[in-house]
Amino acid sequence: MEFRIAADELKKALHRAQGIVERKATMPILSNVLITAGKSGVTVTAFDLDIGIVSEHAAEVMKTGAVTVSARTLLDIVSFVPDAQVTVKKLANNYAEITSGAAHYKIVGMAPEEFPKLPREDASNLVKISGPTLLEMIKKTSYAISNDETRYILNGVFFEPREGGKVRMVATDGHRLSLVERELLGDFKLKAGVIIPRKGLMELKRLLDEAPEADCQLGFAENSALFKKPGLSMVMRLIDGQFPEYQRVIPKEGEKQLMVSRARLGDALKRIALLSADKSNAVKVSLSENLLRITANNPDLGEAKDDLEVAYRGGSMTVGFNARYIQDVLASMDTDEVAVELGDEHSPGVMHAPGDRSYTTVVMPMRV
Amino acid sequence: MTRAIIHLDMDAFYASVEQRDRPELKGKPVIVGGHPQRGVVLAASYEVRPFGVRSAMPMARAHKAAPKAIVVAPRFHAYVEASEAVFRIFESVTPMIEPLSLDEAFLDVTASLGLFGSAASIAASLRQRIAKEVGLPASAGIADVKFVAKIVSDLAKPNGQKEIPTGTSREFLAPLPIWRLWGVGPKTEEVLGRLGLKTIGDVAAREQHWLTKHLGAGGQHLWELSQGIDPREVVPDREAKSVGAQDTFDEDLLGEAALTPHIHSQALRVGRRLRRAGVRARVVQLVVKYDDFTSISRRVTLPAATDDGQLLYREAIGLLSRVDLGRRIRLTGVAGQELTSGEAQLGLFAADAPKKQEKLNSVLDQIATKFGNHAVVTADLKREQDSDDPRDGFYREEKRETAVKAEQQRTKTGLTVERDEE
Repeated sequence: MEFRIAADELKKALHRAQGIVERKATMPILSNVLITAGKSGVTVTAFDLDIGIVSEHAAEVMKTGAVTVSARTLLDIVSFVPDAQVTVKKLANNYAEITSGAAHYKIVGMAPEEFPKLPREDASNLVKISGPTLLEMIKKTSYAISNDETRYILNGVFFEPREGGKVRMVATDGHRLSLVERELLGDFKLKAGVIIPRKGLMELKRLLDEAPEADCQLGFAENSALFKKPGLSMVMRLIDGQFPEYQRVIPKEGEKQLMVSRARLGDALKRIALLSADKSNAVKVSLSENLLRITANNPDLGEAKDDLEVAYRGGSMTVGFNARYIQDVLASMDTDEVAVELGDEHSPGVMHAPGDRSYTTVVMPMRV
Repeated sequence: MTRAIIHLDMDAFYASVEQRDRPELKGKPVIVGGHPQRGVVLAASYEVRPFGVRSAMPMARAHKAAPKAIVVAPRFHAYVEASEAVFRIFESVTPMIEPLSLDEAFLDVTASLGLFGSAASIAASLRQRIAKEVGLPASAGIADVKFVAKIVSDLAKPNGQKEIPTGTSREFLAPLPIWRLWGVGPKTEEVLGRLGLKTIGDVAAREQHWLTKHLGAGGQHLWELSQGIDPREVVPDREAKSVGAQDTFDEDLLGEAALTPHIHSQALRVGRRLRRAGVRARVVQLVVKYDDFTSISRRVTLPAATDDGQLLYREAIGLLSRVDLGRRIRLTGVAGQELTSGEAQLGLFAADAPKKQEKLNSVLDQIATKFGNHAVVTADLKREQDSDDPRDGFYREEKRETAVKAEQQRTKTGLTVERDEE
């Protein structure tokens, strides 16, 4: 195998692989990329047994074949080559030779046959989707995914087709929940919702970020998802299990409704959370007529208070929240104003765009 | 940093409550005790002590020693209520309260000095308020370390207080007999006596290495105590490692049905105390002592920390299945451990029941504060109420056994004799 490729092109392929390959893989070969030179160009494959991507790149192929080498090492090398072009050549005993200008490397590889096979992708289910919309939906849910590995089911986003070509995506870590519903075009022919794992979703986000407007296709087979855009395909195993009944925990309509400036609320939280106790980010939110007061108090540091004018008429109340949870929501919204709905000090707070519940977030209070 | 520690101890607590509530008992020898044959003396009024009646003494013997003494059955709810009132008075000067039992506590008033004046004046005003508002006598010891404060409060009894100024603990301790030191029981006393150590001053005069040579690792600790050195701090429930309630039964119990009401009561008490301290427990422990005095403990880690007595109860009952129920049991105890401060994030998917329970608990706590702990109790406990056993849903009822044990220790170490003499 031997081919000549633009250094930037190879770098792009290896960047895509970085998120997938395992740093400390139990199987050493999972730290590698598989590079295959065919007649039409070169493909770079990364696979961690759950998520795999195949990236296609134009190259001048002198001799077809395959080689597998450490993804990290190859990326480091390509990042420092002196020339705009790189030549990759397979040597005996699975060594790979990298040449660029006068620079020359000979790096250890493994037998390409040992690289695990990606699941067969069934292209028949693929549906054309709107990249920017999917990107928006990921951004509005991914922050709420649980990091707790013992809550395996919550380590991903629930992807649920709704009526009228709409798709709902829901993420929760058990303390907060984020739901977004958008038209994603196409019929996914799913009987029920599926759970897309965090890692796959993050890779998907990176790939969409490269060029959101590109033609994108998404499809689901039995327990895997397939994503395709020009020059790239990605397949991932879905989380197997029952997503919790999220509708049950979304309050229909909060007792106390108010409207507040997104920027002002975000700033106030930032400055008051500085004095929250034990780095818990706990702040107290007190509501009275047209006034929202945010306070924090740390026995070792002192206390802080900030007042915001809000559009609110109703009874007064105080409730504690993790400021970061609210900040995450504010950062993921687009409107200048935010509609906030509260119950009592034990009830969830709900935030959404004014008059629009298609993106709804629920945050549980803290006991303060 | 020099600390100001007050040890407050109610005088003949149960007996004093009886004398307060039944004026005809005032000035009379009163014994509070359980079962006339099997029971032990729970408290003896000062009037009956010259006859040699002591706490924890078998009732039969007490009756022989003081046949004219008036024997009163215990009314635990009254003691618990009195204790609550006393602790509320403590709370008016500092949150740094370490309860030892129903009727005694350490208070660290170091941070309160600026606000309320000297430790001695704080102690005086506490005792005055207890006398006026609760109608009971209390004694106080003031020192810069815990164990000295405890010794001093004993010496000050009854109805007195005494302060050992900072830096004079050593001189104060020197003439006292060796058994005054914490951890010196009759056995150790005997060993020390053979070494020629009769007073605390004898220990203080010895070299540390000489003590460790003869007494092992404990020698070092003993020497420190003799110097008035005691790094132990006052640990309020809030910072405690564990919050528990346990009861020794009047008679040994057999079978789950007999035990569950007690465990329920204990769990509820622990829940209340946790809520009061603003902490939640991640671990539930059940302690069981069999009739042969061997004891076992079983524990379970909860998925989420709790301050709910009902949940603690369910977990404790689960633990009961890992206990040999074919044997007679003389004591059970429930404790919450691995405490975390109450600043907890609420969960979305927690079942609705705990949320309701939380609201219910907060209402029950309010009712208990206003109308007393008997105002509302759970149905299985209600049944028990008439027998006046300590199994109501109250809190701050610190281990009856601890109180009895403390009394035993005092008797053993002769502290009660001091009381009588004074």
